[in-house]
Amino acid sequence: MQDKTEGKQKPKDQQSGASEKNLVVAGQSVTRTDDPAKVTGGLMYGADYAHEGFLHGKILRSPHPHALIKSIDTKKAEALKGVAAVLTGKDVPGRNGFGAILPDQPVICEDKVRYVGDGVALVAADTEEIAHEALSLIRVEYEVLPAVFDPRDALKPDAPKVHEAGNLLSDNKLRKGDVEKGFLEADIIMERTYQVPFLEHAYLEPDVTLAVPQPDGTMLVEGPMQAPFTVRRNLAAVLGVPVNRVRARQIHMGGGFGGKEDSPIDIGCRAAVLAFHTGRPVRIALEREEVTLQTCKRHPMIMEIKIGARKDGKLLAFEGVIYDEQGAYAGLGPIIPPAGGSHIHSMVMMPGPYEIPHAKVDAYLCYTNHPYGGAMRGFGAPQVHIAHEQMMDELAAELELDPLHIRRINAFRLGSATATGQVLDQSVGLLDTLDACAESFGWEERFGQNEYVDAESCKRRGIGVGMGWYRTSIGTAGDGCGANISVHEDGSVLLYSGITEMGQGAFTVLPQICAEALGVAMEDVRLVKPDTDQVPESGPTVGSRSTTLMGNAIIMAAAQVKSSILEMASEMLRVPAERLEAKDRLVYDRDDTRKSLAFKEVAARCMATGKRLIGQGWWTPPAASLDPETGQGNPYFVYTYSTHMAEVLVDVETGEVEVTDYVAAFDVGKAINPKALEGQIEGGVAMGLGYALMEEVAMVEGIPQNINLQDYLIPTTLDMPDVKPIVLEVENKLGPYGAKGIGEMPNIPATPAILNAITDACGGRVRSLPADPEHVFMAIREAGGPPER
Amino acid sequence: MNALTLSFTLNGNEVSIEISPNTLLVDLLRDNLRLTGTKVGCRDGECGACTVLLDGTPVNSCILPAAKVQGRSVTTIEGLAHENGQLSEIQEAFMHEGAAQCGFCTPGMIMNSTALLEKNPQPDDQEIRESLSGTLCRCTGYRKIVQAVVTAGEMKKSQG
Repeated sequence: MQDKTEGKQKPKDQQSGASEKNLVVAGQSVTRTDDPAKVTGGLMYGADYAHEGFLHGKILRSPHPHALIKSIDTKKAEALKGVAAVLTGKDVPGRNGFGAILPDQPVICEDKVRYVGDGVALVAADTEEIAHEALSLIRVEYEVLPAVFDPRDALKPDAPKVHEAGNLLSDNKLRKGDVEKGFLEADIIMERTYQVPFLEHAYLEPDVTLAVPQPDGTMLVEGPMQAPFTVRRNLAAVLGVPVNRVRARQIHMGGGFGGKEDSPIDIGCRAAVLAFHTGRPVRIALEREEVTLQTCKRHPMIMEIKIGARKDGKLLAFEGVIYDEQGAYAGLGPIIPPAGGSHIHSMVMMPGPYEIPHAKVDAYLCYTNHPYGGAMRGFGAPQVHIAHEQMMDELAAELELDPLHIRRINAFRLGSATATGQVLDQSVGLLDTLDACAESFGWEERFGQNEYVDAESCKRRGIGVGMGWYRTSIGTAGDGCGANISVHEDGSVLLYSGITEMGQGAFTVLPQICAEALGVAMEDVRLVKPDTDQVPESGPTVGSRSTTLMGNAIIMAAAQVKSSILEMASEMLRVPAERLEAKDRLVYDRDDTRKSLAFKEVAARCMATGKRLIGQGWWTPPAASLDPETGQGNPYFVYTYSTHMAEVLVDVETGEVEVTDYVAAFDVGKAINPKALEGQIEGGVAMGLGYALMEEVAMVEGIPQNINLQDYLIPTTLDMPDVKPIVLEVENKLGPYGAKGIGEMPNIPATPAILNAITDACGGRVRSLPADPEHVFMAIREAGGPPER
Repeated sequence: MNALTLSFTLNGNEVSIEISPNTLLVDLLRDNLRLTGTKVGCRDGECGACTVLLDGTPVNSCILPAAKVQGRSVTTIEGLAHENGQLSEIQEAFMHEGAAQCGFCTPGMIMNSTALLEKNPQPDDQEIRESLSGTLCRCTGYRKIVQAVVTAGEMKKSQG
């Protein structure tokens, strides 16, 4: 059994500081706290809870992507035995609208539908079968309207209006330097257009929600959810009650990837409205097909790039246009304080992790009559990376440069200024990832060796590189995260955090940080699961923010308790508190380690004498900024960097692609749990591979065609190469033990690395995804046929 | 429809239960018998999260009529631990390798792996990947899952 992991490596400069300080729990590959329940089938997911006594909620969706509702007849459905409620738009007690950022999606549509996932009536019944039958008895009369399915069409003056205010939801600009001047100085100017389709998250667990009216009038909503506080905020408005009359509790999630930021609001509001009317618990469990039809998707985009460079490869000017398709509702697209949207993130990231003196981006976010765009692992970054990373390769090819060389001379380094004018003043390990990846992959030896595998074969080998960066935190419009800690007289600890577990390992990494910060053992810490009645506001579990923001909040909370512990131990040991250290269940004198006490002994004395043993941490990143006219400022406080390299075999006769080798290097600041972090990398690469080669929600006249997992393909064991992760640690001075975010980064450079490898292998370039056999075959044909032998 | 009396062996125990003839195995397990370790991801027989063993062979319980298990033996994730409560090698290996992330595919993966290891205690990488290709995972990229199967095989071997 050969372990291909390179493990942690030292970057060449910006050596880690705090991250190496004698850590006991943080930095260890601790077994995940939820593993025993997962491997025995004991872990309870939303669908696993007994639902005797629950009503079953179902949503009648529109068959048309754009139509006026002329009438709804619910009489027959209401008369059906076992039906407890049939609701239409007029029945929503408060605001008839929800949304993570802008509440523009009706809980139940009253006058108009804007996509085929729109709900026009809700049913609650004793069984799912009766609820289904009730839906079939509802008669809705529609007047079908002309629809719009392309963001460029949506901007035309005569386009059908999806919303009254017009189809342009957000129009954003980035202006740095003078691009015209840059293009005048350039030896070469190239223009390309890249296009990406809708993507489905395809989390394995279909959405489910339980709305349970409480005796005191509070509404409890439970289910898998990434953003309990956003769910609560929306529910309160929809029910017309104060925020403190709603309680949102997270049940362990079977995958989210950003999708379960929006969808629990959608079904949570609907279940709650049914529960409000019936006074009974209501359960809505979406079927797989409903998940695809109704919930958010990764935004499709059309991306135009004009790039200018010197003949040595140095970038001088970048001009980009993004037509970002929002679909029917705002979802997580636009920027409206206090929430940041994916659209701004796309704009900020579009010029790539490169120093470019002159940059200009125009980004249009447009409503259409398609399903709506939401967060999906990378939040607007994967799309633009597909554009700029292919552009870099196309430029390199035109200049006859090694794709690595052109990246190396332009890549961010310490002190670089981004396209928003942000000076990167710490934790910039991009070039370190390039070097480590190239060395491990053997780029120099392999580059230019693109050949047919043998004289008879129609398979040709190629390699490709993709570089990337990703923010930590929500940024742009503010972020903040709270944690509470209480230590008990026996030394045991409760950690209260609103960060959710969706498989990424937060319920393991956060207790690790807590144990390290207090000086106790991992098993001494019990995490109180996200429940808006119990945990402090923590923000959503998104934006690769959990480890860093919550980690910092935990360390702040721990510091408050620890000061009590050290003061008390100082009295007990008669040693100045400054000389004391708390580590691994002991409090001891650094200068004379024989002088020590058990942590629990000190905690017991604190409790007995009335010393504070609770801590409350609140961490806010440095203020973010972004000028609305120029797109200049510091939108996020730190970034994670990465380089990926892939080898592919392309069958030049069929267009089939096989990824045969893969190395992915990351600068993560500090790996708090290296094994869990590797898991993030390997899984992220799989998602990026799916984006490159097979994934697309195919739309025909606004209707998703491949709505189950038989037709919407995601990578299987046979599609995946043996990914080799490399982890570098360039300390983030603002992170817990030096850490920064990782969750979203791994899938971002994967897609362009594979696309670039395909071109290296077969000569054709797929600029409109996915690079499935048909598209690859056509690209080879456009390139003038397969390369000569 | 007339109720049907179904008798079969479930995780080593004899079970006899009245069901409606159109009941699917997964619903019998999850709703009637409250064994919720077996997951439902698609109800199409595509994702493999509902995999259980029928006389030792992996089947998608979401498309199998429960009536088909009459007189046969069904094993679910809840039935894998040894009699003394100790976890099976593949369960241990999944934890050791960090092969579970969200965990939703884990029961199906473990059931498929169990059947494979029973047939072939030392499978190579390709055999493992082929055996598990019908079980989807969106989190892990499969590398640690494949590694867990290798490790479980080695654990079995070393324990003789």
